[in-house]
Amino acid sequence: MPSKKEVEQPTAPADDDASMTEAPAAEEVQEEEANPVLLAFEEQRIRILPGSTDTAASFEFKKEDHTLGNALRYIIMKNPDVEFCGYSIPHPSEEVMNIRIQTYEGTTAIEALDKGFDDLMDLCDIVADKFTAAREDFASRQMDED
Amino acid sequence: MSREAYQVPTVAPTPGRDAFQAGDGPAINYLCGDCNSKVPLKKGDPIRCKECGHRVLYKERTKRMVQFEAR
Amino acid sequence: MAAHPLRLKNPSPAEQEARKIVGVNAETVTNVSSTDFPHHYPGEDHAWDKNKFQESFQVQFHHNKPFDASFSLIGIDASVANAFRRILLAEIPTLAIEYVFVNNNTSVIQDEVLAARLGLVPLKGGKEGLLSFLKWFKKPEEDAPAEEQFSKAYDYNTIALSLKIECTRNENAAPGEKDPHKLYHNAYVYAKDIQFKPFGRQLKYFSDDDAIMPTNPDILIAKLRPGQCIDVDMHAIKGVGSDHAKYSPVATASYRLLPTITITKPILGKDAEKFARCFPRGVIGLETVTKEEAAQIGSGYEGHEGEKKAVVRDPMKDTVSREVLRHEEFNGKVKLGRVRDHFIFSVESLGQWDSDEMFLEAVKVLKVKCEGLKKNLADMTR
Repeated sequence: MPSKKEVEQPTAPADDDASMTEAPAAEEVQEEEANPVLLAFEEQRIRILPGSTDTAASFEFKKEDHTLGNALRYIIMKNPDVEFCGYSIPHPSEEVMNIRIQTYEGTTAIEALDKGFDDLMDLCDIVADKFTAAREDFASRQMDED
Repeated sequence: MSREAYQVPTVAPTPGRDAFQAGDGPAINYLCGDCNSKVPLKKGDPIRCKECGHRVLYKERTKRMVQFEAR
Repeated sequence: MAAHPLRLKNPSPAEQEARKIVGVNAETVTNVSSTDFPHHYPGEDHAWDKNKFQESFQVQFHHNKPFDASFSLIGIDASVANAFRRILLAEIPTLAIEYVFVNNNTSVIQDEVLAARLGLVPLKGGKEGLLSFLKWFKKPEEDAPAEEQFSKAYDYNTIALSLKIECTRNENAAPGEKDPHKLYHNAYVYAKDIQFKPFGRQLKYFSDDDAIMPTNPDILIAKLRPGQCIDVDMHAIKGVGSDHAKYSPVATASYRLLPTITITKPILGKDAEKFARCFPRGVIGLETVTKEEAAQIGSGYEGHEGEKKAVVRDPMKDTVSREVLRHEEFNGKVKLGRVRDHFIFSVESLGQWDSDEMFLEAVKVLKVKCEGLKKNLADMTR
């Protein structure tokens, strides 16, 4: 699995491209985290759009698109405390996605969004577990047939 | 420009230039337009292919490394 | 607090089935959107429940070869299935050639065209090395001086490859020979001519069978004639498909919904045979009408004992060409549709990831997205 940890070690001298050096023993190399996924989460990517109240808010997500937007919208709609949820992409040239959540009294839009993230993570866990189980099952059935 | 007399070079030749003939500058290889043979020319040489006499010569591709993004 | 009705009622099984089917008609598609949200049907509870999902969700494998997996996800919504598909295409990190250093190229293929072709060659290599050892390479700033551009290219984030090939005339060719394969040496430059130049710790992770090499060695990159040569060094780094299509790890990843064919009125005899021909082989089977069926009044089988009738055998093989709907004799006797929550995925990998591993990675990527954004949300509201 690709590593997500960020390693921080003292710097090592670098050579020109023509003679790429073997990185000195791991403890001395500063591995600058260049994974764009992790770098993206350093910056502030969610913003509440003006004109929002506690129970009715629009959120702006930078660098997100239909992949997360539609899935998150579905999960938030499954929340019985949510009166309205929709997402839109204001302009395809900009990597921006807006989600609007309106809730009934008793919970806030931010809470609903938070619950949406949690539920989506649970869904991913269940999918991963069932997938692995089905794969094992299929593999053992193949072995039996052979 | 025909210079038959030997001209004293204004700059002392650098040691790395042993491969090239004494004279003005290193001989640059050109390619003949007809027979595609290499034609080394120095400054002042008549521009003609040594083998077939064609008068259109092309310069060779540069030896410098060029970098591209594979996109 | 959401208004809870005094009693919750469950829809009847028939109603549940009807809600699950997307109708496929001759010129329209009906009942497309999913409606399983709270408050949509008064008195029904459709709230998200982890346990209910745990029970109803299923995965079934159809086949699982290393680079080609086909499996069904049943009980999930289209938005999530599509999210997985989009992630498979665009957000799984893969290795591909990015920088091409041309020392010499006297072929007729222009440098930039050659570089673009090299970028698109799919590579494969040792899994452990590719997935855990190889890290991301940070692209240098555009205006950095040349020496600094690759100062951070180490053994753990860059793969070096080279392609050095020259075309020469074959002295031993028969006179009058026309085939370039025989007339010249190295007239065709294939992907297998790309050599891997390991250094540092790469020697350990990418050796012998695990070496970085093109998945398909017979991809034609360029054609040469005598005197032409290509001398090129390349750096391959990790990237994602959203950046450039060469980084997409799948030949393609797609899904389709399970088709349904419902025979509402009996189809018998010659009609049954014609019906079976309207679908791909194996979808429709022919059975004989038994005495009991013929005895049932109102079933439509009266007096047809012994005849062939059409039954649906395997709807998964159907390609939904809607050919049946073109024939008048079947009007009103058959209903076509698709099951809204049964996704038959087909993931064809290009060699760097195994198809099933890749799907698990896609699920993980979605989860990581949520985790990161949740943290972002917490930071924002603090």
